Amino acid sequence: MKTRNDCREWRELLGAYALGHLQGDERAGLEAHLDGCARCREELAALQPVALLLPHADPARFGPAPQPPPELGQRVAATIAAERERGEKRRRRRLFGGFAVGGATAAAVAAVLLLFVFGGGDGRGGPEQRVRFAGLPEGITIDATLEPHSYGTEIHMYVHGVPSGTLCRVWLRGADGDSYPAGTFRYRWGDDSDAVLSSALDLSRTRAVVVDTGKRTFVAPVDSPVADLNIPNEEEPT
Amino acid sequence: MIQLGNSTRGALSRERDVREAYAAHSGELYGFAVRSLGDAGLAEEAVQETFVRAWRAGDRFDPKIGSLRTWLFAILRNVVIDLGRARSVRPRVAEGGVEPSVEPLDEALTAWQVEEAMRRIGEDHRRVIVETYYRGRPYAEVAEELGVPEGTVKSRVYYGLRALRVVLEEMGYED
Repeated sequence: MKTRNDCREWRELLGAYALGHLQGDERAGLEAHLDGCARCREELAALQPVALLLPHADPARFGPAPQPPPELGQRVAATIAAERERGEKRRRRRLFGGFAVGGATAAAVAAVLLLFVFGGGDGRGGPEQRVRFAGLPEGITIDATLEPHSYGTEIHMYVHGVPSGTLCRVWLRGADGDSYPAGTFRYRWGDDSDAVLSSALDLSRTRAVVVDTGKRTFVAPVDSPVADLNIPNEEEPT
Repeated sequence: MIQLGNSTRGALSRERDVREAYAAHSGELYGFAVRSLGDAGLAEEAVQETFVRAWRAGDRFDPKIGSLRTWLFAILRNVVIDLGRARSVRPRVAEGGVEPSVEPLDEALTAWQVEEAMRRIGEDHRRVIVETYYRGRPYAEVAEELGVPEGTVKSRVYYGLRALRVVLEEMGYED
């Protein structure tokens, strides 16, 4: 039997006591010690929450924890880098758009849609082309980036300022005058992301991007000097 | 609580910070995701989504409110809920030997923390807690099997619980 002064030996029984494993004289002796030892009471109070947590664990799961595959970190980094790049592209396009709204006020009076092409070289069939719809009603911004693919053309469409929930239908108009559907999306307030659409029409044969917002149809000619435009301005109340 | 030494407000807004956070916490996040979802592929998806969401919201992270680890686990918890909803409408994919947790998510998180803490304490301490508590074996029998006095088994249980407490505190567990 331990003496009351043997504090360390009593303390080392606190684990078994906290788990409810002490019995008989040993339990009675420890409880008597606890009555007179604030330090051991404090220690017991620190162990009891741990003892209460043990039933939550499954001892079958105490083995080595599964580790993430090494390439997961690279995937995370690549995903974030891609998202950052998309955001930077969008900001650049919005910056261009911002300049154009002011410059196009006079054009808006005549409801003329002007074309701005930010692509390099002749642009047709080459790398992506950024086209922006200008002369739009005040507060509305629409712009698009067209990327050539073997299957046709990928369209990143940015719309801002139309009523939230507006259903937008998009077509590409070809050199032959036919329209090729590119899909639909809804504009939502607070969502600055691009809608990603695609059309079977080859970018090199694309002459215009057409966006129907339900109440109006907007057209931005693609890769043609403004003076060359023979595409009618379409702003059709429906 | 564990906090990255250089954590400041907005500490996850740069990609380099995300890489550091990933190096520090991805193992634990993945372990919990596997335990909750029972599927390694879904767990990878959950961890990836957690860091992407953390990066998007990086400016809002404030270490004065809580540790980066706690914040990441809070994001992962939401991701796991979202994935669980998505999985409920598609067939479950079995993963070799890993059973999905069927507990409520908060219970699963508590369980995972205790299991992780058990993994981190010394083998001697873990062994006596497993034998006496989880398997309910008499101390004398465990002592004989280990070739040590019964008093040593009791003291190992005590030091084992102390070690668990320290590890749980390091992991951010609060009473």
